[in-house]
Amino acid sequence: MTRDILLQIAQVLTVLLLAPLIQGIIVQFEERVQRGQGPGIFQPYRDLWKLFHKELVLPETASWLFLVAPFVAFTCMLTVPILIPVLTNFPLPLSDMGDILGGGLILTLGSFMIVLAGLDTASAYGGIGSSRAVMVLILAEPTLILVFVGITLLAKAMLPFVVNHLLVASWAVYWSPAHLFLVAAFFILLLVETDRMPIHSSTHIEVYMIEEGRVLEYSGPLLALLKWASAMKQFILYTIFCNVLILPWGLSIQGTALGAAGAALGLVVKFTLVACVVAFVETAQSRLRFYRYQEPLAASFLFAVLSIVGTQLS
Amino acid sequence: MSAGILIAILLAAPALAGFAAILVRSPRAAEALNLAASLVSFLCALPLPFLVASAGETFLGGYVAVDRAAAWVVLCTSIVYLLASIYAVGYMRLLGEDRRLHWFYALFAGFGLTTLAGPFMNNVGIYWIAIELTTLVSTFLVAFEHAAESMEAAWKYIMVVSAGISLALLGTVLFYWGGSFVLGPTYDMTWAALGGAAPKMNHAVVTLAYLLVLVGYGTKVGLAPMHSWLPDAHSESPAPVSAMLSGALLNTAMFGIFRFLGIAKAAGLGAFPELALVAFGTLSLLVGALFIVRQQGIKRLMAYSSIEHMGVVALGFGFGGPLGIAGALYHMLNHSLNKSLMFFGAGNVMRAYGTKEIGRIRGVLRHFPAQGLLWLAGAVAITGAPPFGLFLSELTIMRAGLKPSFAWAVYVMAALLIVIFIGFLNHFRAMYWDAEAAGDAPSRKTSAWSAVPMWLALAPLLVLGLWWPADLWSYLASVAQSMLPGVS
Amino acid sequence: MPIQHLDPLASSLFGLLAILSLLLAFVMLGSRWLKNYLYAFAAESWAIALLSAAIAYYGHYPELYLVAALTLLFRGLILPYLVWRIIQRLDVAREVRIILQPSSAMVIGAFFVMFALSVSYRIASDFHLELTIAVLALTVMLSMKLIGFLMLAVRHEAISQVLGLLVLENGIFLGSQILVPGMPLLIELVVLFDLLIVVACFGVLVRYLQAHVGTTSSLDLKRLTG
Repeated sequence: MTRDILLQIAQVLTVLLLAPLIQGIIVQFEERVQRGQGPGIFQPYRDLWKLFHKELVLPETASWLFLVAPFVAFTCMLTVPILIPVLTNFPLPLSDMGDILGGGLILTLGSFMIVLAGLDTASAYGGIGSSRAVMVLILAEPTLILVFVGITLLAKAMLPFVVNHLLVASWAVYWSPAHLFLVAAFFILLLVETDRMPIHSSTHIEVYMIEEGRVLEYSGPLLALLKWASAMKQFILYTIFCNVLILPWGLSIQGTALGAAGAALGLVVKFTLVACVVAFVETAQSRLRFYRYQEPLAASFLFAVLSIVGTQLS
Repeated sequence: MSAGILIAILLAAPALAGFAAILVRSPRAAEALNLAASLVSFLCALPLPFLVASAGETFLGGYVAVDRAAAWVVLCTSIVYLLASIYAVGYMRLLGEDRRLHWFYALFAGFGLTTLAGPFMNNVGIYWIAIELTTLVSTFLVAFEHAAESMEAAWKYIMVVSAGISLALLGTVLFYWGGSFVLGPTYDMTWAALGGAAPKMNHAVVTLAYLLVLVGYGTKVGLAPMHSWLPDAHSESPAPVSAMLSGALLNTAMFGIFRFLGIAKAAGLGAFPELALVAFGTLSLLVGALFIVRQQGIKRLMAYSSIEHMGVVALGFGFGGPLGIAGALYHMLNHSLNKSLMFFGAGNVMRAYGTKEIGRIRGVLRHFPAQGLLWLAGAVAITGAPPFGLFLSELTIMRAGLKPSFAWAVYVMAALLIVIFIGFLNHFRAMYWDAEAAGDAPSRKTSAWSAVPMWLALAPLLVLGLWWPADLWSYLASVAQSMLPGVS
Repeated sequence: MPIQHLDPLASSLFGLLAILSLLLAFVMLGSRWLKNYLYAFAAESWAIALLSAAIAYYGHYPELYLVAALTLLFRGLILPYLVWRIIQRLDVAREVRIILQPSSAMVIGAFFVMFALSVSYRIASDFHLELTIAVLALTVMLSMKLIGFLMLAVRHEAISQVLGLLVLENGIFLGSQILVPGMPLLIELVVLFDLLIVVACFGVLVRYLQAHVGTTSSLDLKRLTG
């Protein structure tokens, strides 16, 4: 019992501590692919350290929301790892607090608060960033819900752990069209939600930035919290993608300390694989015009529908 | 002579004429070949209805089947083919396309062949292929004049109709699938086989398949709302081709719907198949009426009248029973004769006045007294007035519909027929008796080749309107008992 | 067809190929460039030919091997080649004026798939049998039909419309392979040849369109009204 509670805490801590590492790996890998030096994979940790030691500056037009939003976002990102299989493939004590849809709700709540925060200071860049973020969210959320519905229909249960067991146990289900289309749909959503090409470029220079525009007014520790929260969101989405959908192996079955550590290491390995693919996709494409954002999302919607059709037929 | 030999000659004649016309480049020879082929086909088709036993006969290992309905439809087709061939001689000479004329006659003979062959096909799949081939051949006939409007009309025709009959193919496959649960995975899909298996077929499949076939072949027939290609194709093609399209092709496609109606009724779907057909028929009447009232092109006027009459035929089949089916079949014959007459007259007038617009055609009676009277008689006939044949067939259909379930359709039909009568003849009143403007005088006189087929069309129409012998009545009524060959 | 006795591997193979064809139909819906449209169609024909061969193998219908080979040859190679030649001769490379955005078309296509699924369920449930492969076949067939009609409606280029018609036929062929593989060989062969003639006629007509109307876009075909 205590071991389960410890595992649960360990899951949250894994997400907390490893999220910047994954971000660093992705950025470094991309820079290397694009023939640059790269800042090193531990750079996000150094950035966070630096930001926590900087002064907090608040705009005059900020309200209570400005202070509250980062904390809400951070807390949401800490809550979701409780519900999904991060280290173990069996449900831990608080895992039935919410199912897949609940997890999706909490994730979106975090993003929603940051969107509000961007609007809060009445700055132009914040407004643009928030409105664009909301547009992408409007297109992506229904698809995300459909993907979750597809996952649910695939396993006939709403807990992600059941899906994990099913995919590990049965090759037929793993290679079925339902699962493959879900992978494709979720991959596109992954690119969208973590602000990768072809939706968004991750450099700070562009005025079209969605991610950066929302948090432009933040500084110091609050900015560190926001950056950490977005890194954790990326980690969580990658976790769902790998542990629930495409690479469900490598999770600790019995819950020993060695198994948990091995699972954490396995996470890093799996995420590096996915990061390679993401970096390749990013490098191979250019950013789409804003009005064409609907196209990859429509394709994702389509894949989700086809996978639901596939689940009905097998 | 047995029916089989007659059918063989009937089909071989246009085929040979078509091939020969391609080889022999001379336009006059091509004309003569086509004319001879159509005459031979007509002479073979004429005794066919009398020679066929009521249950039907099959030939060629079951691939060719003829029963009374098929013989009747082929008779109508061959009459139109003959009349159109006679008319084409005079009309096409005026076009000045002598270099390409042998292609026209080759295609025309091919068109005649495929339209004549359709009703004989016993296998449902091969029937579909025959209809598809008619589409392909007639597209090039519609596009023959190589003007921008003809191209547009041909493109719309082939697109809409091909899409439509692909639906019919889907329905055919679904029928086969439904039948495979009764007859096993491999069987010859003849009309009789489907009709025999129909009572045991799953109702959902039969409903879906029947609807698909109705919409699919209904596109080919020109039932609203699938009619959008019809006014364009029938108005932009040369007049003899328009006559064949309206008089022959629509009947052949309607024949397929008739057969599938038989299968659906055998499956025991209740009143649904007939209700669907009545709905389409009423809608076609409505569309025809609306567009006739405000029409500006003379050939489009005739095309919408075709839509209307196909709606009446659909109503006849939908009302069902001996009266309804007999009336519908009789209507097919009358419509073929009458529509040919109208298109021939329209073609003459178009050539003479050099325009297709009703507003620019004035004083027809003054310039062309004899032909004008013929054409006017045809107009009176086609709107359903006595003493012509269409009056009798429409009245029969209305009588058939006066059962409680379909009485509403009869009232709508009557009202719309009155509207069409007024609208259609209003145009003719304008063309015949309105004052002429200065530049509207016709330029050319027409030849005997154009006048003779009009007489040949009008005379039987008058006869059929005044005299409907009991034998013919019982012949047509017997078709209602056996809608499928070999199943009675 | 002994649908009830399919082993799971065969069933999932059929399912995979059928859904792959449907996916390629969506690729066609979402493509702007005519060449992409054509390649997707060719790939779809190949998938259907593979399906035909698979059915021949698992269902023990040796004549379907011939049908599969001919499908590969005609629908997979010759037809795309003919259409490719037509594209080469015209000077259009893509749909310049877009009636419906490709993404919206894809979403509408997804709704069509759901509709087709519900219809197929209704029909299959009437049989009181759990014929999932039949439901799949019906769904794919009906949705490819609907997508083909959508393509005909929202594409204005002549080539796109021709390809839309061919997708319609592909859908029927796919469904008929799974549902009625025992259909007489004669019918299948004649339909195949008929398709060839259809495309040849289209080639001639498109050339006529270009020569006499000056454009192959149906948005300019507006002379006949009323």
